[in-house]
Amino acid sequence: MAQALPDDSVVAPVRGGVQAPLMVAAAAQRRRLADDTAAWFARNEVHFGVSIAGEVVQRPIPYDPLPRIVDSVEWAWLERALAQRVRALDEFVRDAYGEARILRAGLVPPALIYGSTSWFRSCRGPAALRPGQVCIAGIDLVRVQGRWLVLEDNLRVPSGASYALASRRVLADLAPELLAGLRPRALGEYPRRLLAALEQRSSEEGLTVLLSPGPANAAYYEHCELARLMGIPVVTAADLVASHRGCWLRKDVGNVPVARIYHRYSPEYLDPLGGRDDSLIGIPFLFAAWRQGRVVLANAPTCGVADDKRLFPFVPSLIRYYLGEQPMLEQPLTIELDSRARRRDVLSRFDDFVFKPVNGSGGKGIVFGPVANREERAALSATLEEAPGTMVAQPLLEIERLPCVAPAGDLEWRRCDLRAFVVMDVDPWVMPGGLTRVAPGTDQWLVNSSAGGGVKDTWVES
Amino acid sequence: MASTFPIGAGRQYEIVHDSIHHYERSATRSRNEVRLQPLPRKGVQLETFRLEVTPAAEMDAQIDHFGNPTWLVSVEAPHSALRVTARSQVSITPGERASTAAVPWDPDQLLRSPAVEFQLPSPRVPELKGIKALAGEMNLAEGDWDSLLRANRDLRLRFEYLPGSTVVSSTLQEILERRVGVCQDFAHVLIALARYLGWPARYVSGYVVPEAESEGNSHAWVEIGSADGSWLGLDPTHKSETSEWHLAVAVGRDYSDVSPMRGVFVSESAGAPPEVSVRIAAVDPFELRKQLHATRQILQNQQ
Repeated sequence: MAQALPDDSVVAPVRGGVQAPLMVAAAAQRRRLADDTAAWFARNEVHFGVSIAGEVVQRPIPYDPLPRIVDSVEWAWLERALAQRVRALDEFVRDAYGEARILRAGLVPPALIYGSTSWFRSCRGPAALRPGQVCIAGIDLVRVQGRWLVLEDNLRVPSGASYALASRRVLADLAPELLAGLRPRALGEYPRRLLAALEQRSSEEGLTVLLSPGPANAAYYEHCELARLMGIPVVTAADLVASHRGCWLRKDVGNVPVARIYHRYSPEYLDPLGGRDDSLIGIPFLFAAWRQGRVVLANAPTCGVADDKRLFPFVPSLIRYYLGEQPMLEQPLTIELDSRARRRDVLSRFDDFVFKPVNGSGGKGIVFGPVANREERAALSATLEEAPGTMVAQPLLEIERLPCVAPAGDLEWRRCDLRAFVVMDVDPWVMPGGLTRVAPGTDQWLVNSSAGGGVKDTWVES
Repeated sequence: MASTFPIGAGRQYEIVHDSIHHYERSATRSRNEVRLQPLPRKGVQLETFRLEVTPAAEMDAQIDHFGNPTWLVSVEAPHSALRVTARSQVSITPGERASTAAVPWDPDQLLRSPAVEFQLPSPRVPELKGIKALAGEMNLAEGDWDSLLRANRDLRLRFEYLPGSTVVSSTLQEILERRVGVCQDFAHVLIALARYLGWPARYVSGYVVPEAESEGNSHAWVEIGSADGSWLGLDPTHKSETSEWHLAVAVGRDYSDVSPMRGVFVSESAGAPPEVSVRIAAVDPFELRKQLHATRQILQNQQ
């Protein structure tokens, strides 16, 4: 079901951009800073795991030292726009697990709830109705001709905040004079905000822990770093035990109650009796403990129902329905390809589109019309014939390019997006900056870290 | 089934559902979801229910998404076998047999109703080309109750009932190709047909209460959602509509939602399939009343 851009949406204000520092510096000076910052990332083991021949190899995430700068007025608008979007998504999650009023209203096809593999029947219960199912949201934004658009809502395991923190710290360490000039808004309160949001969800006695799938996970650096900054332990499934009465950390001296879990799992793996029964890293009865309110899970395991790519085209109507407001952020048209006529039409203008798997992440399986080779094109056509519902098409957007340091120290312009982090406490709080992700080369489209993309700092004018 | 008992005076039955799971090597702990408690239905009253677990376990009863009582059973001590025995006493009051027809749905009305959950494909009943072919072969019409009744009655003309011919994990595709099966498979085929014809359809697991005391059997049948909000039972294995003697234990989209026992245990070895036995016996109402009285006495003495 396609949906046009809401043409009545409020357009973001754009002012003349501020010149980024180092833009007019000598090439040699830029090259030196690029080398020094890369060495800092390696020394501090700011790693992201990349899959090479089926093995996860941890290596420093590529870093570009030229910051993105966002105007304070534009940012203030974005803060409101992001909070609006996440509030509506949270309402939808609770409704999907409650009365499903949205279905009675006929605004969303029932298959997006009852037919979603991310809608867990085992999660229905009192906990799924509480406000704040979403604790952290990672919203991927791009700028196209000065307008901000949403490309994706990440609600299961929004990752990347620690890389934003490292992107700032490296400049504070190596080039403090740059920061002194423009004085961007500080990011350092993120861990404290996250911990406060966890504690706001339960005042029970008991530990707060970070549950990680383990060192083989691509973002293991982030798990350890955020836990360190919040002052909480990193645990794995083997350390926890659950029953309908609660969750405990297993220790030699006996079991210690756990009240709050900041988990870094795709939720279907959290509990083999509530999610996927082939999960070997799950904790049986964790959902039973959670749904009765005996332990907090952040994000709640319910959130996946709202970050399904098939739901994405309906988010503007969710905002209108639940909040009674006009959506502030625009989003690209998403075209379902299950009808033969529509498929033929889209494929005849192949170069104008990007094709995305409905259940994908990390940029896997995405096909860009203009750069797809013959084999990729043939594979896509075969997939669409076999299972047309598994891919959607979006018009290919010429997203904003930002200046980056090229190998010789001169400037090159690469495509960038912005992952903004929204922490849902009593009031939503948007990290003032976020993670700017950078395509690995000037001819590349994907900015995902798992596709070799890098990061840069994001400065919000104070 | 004709009843020799006066209307209003329920007949009492005891059902003992016993299952033993053996582990090759000791399990250090296990977590299990048990769905063995009969559902109250029209003409069926649950008098008592007891779940016995060996070794000792922590238990809690909760209601799942489909409304099924679900017992959560946690065992902490090392154990080499897990025995779960469900004892239910029910009272069955046969009513007048009146055959009602289900009211067909307006498609838009169904899309906005919670019943649509049962018309969508489910894990064990995916959309298959073979179902369309079967509906054509049997000449079934969309939204037509008589077509469904005919499908229910005639399914066994096209599928052979052969105990042991399939296993719990046999897929619908295999059943359609091999044209054999047992009650579980027939229920899945009828559900698929009903959904294809525009009806919400759900899977029911339970027992059929025999006229004489016997080794009972677990059974499975189907309920069709009517646009008036009611659910009507069809039993393709017995080629009949259901009655009060169909004792429902759990409902769901298909078998995957109603398994009597799902569990996870921590051990170095795998488990074997459980040994299961079901016994259904009529109970002397006077005896039962005595037992209930004794239970109440004990409770009162404890207070």
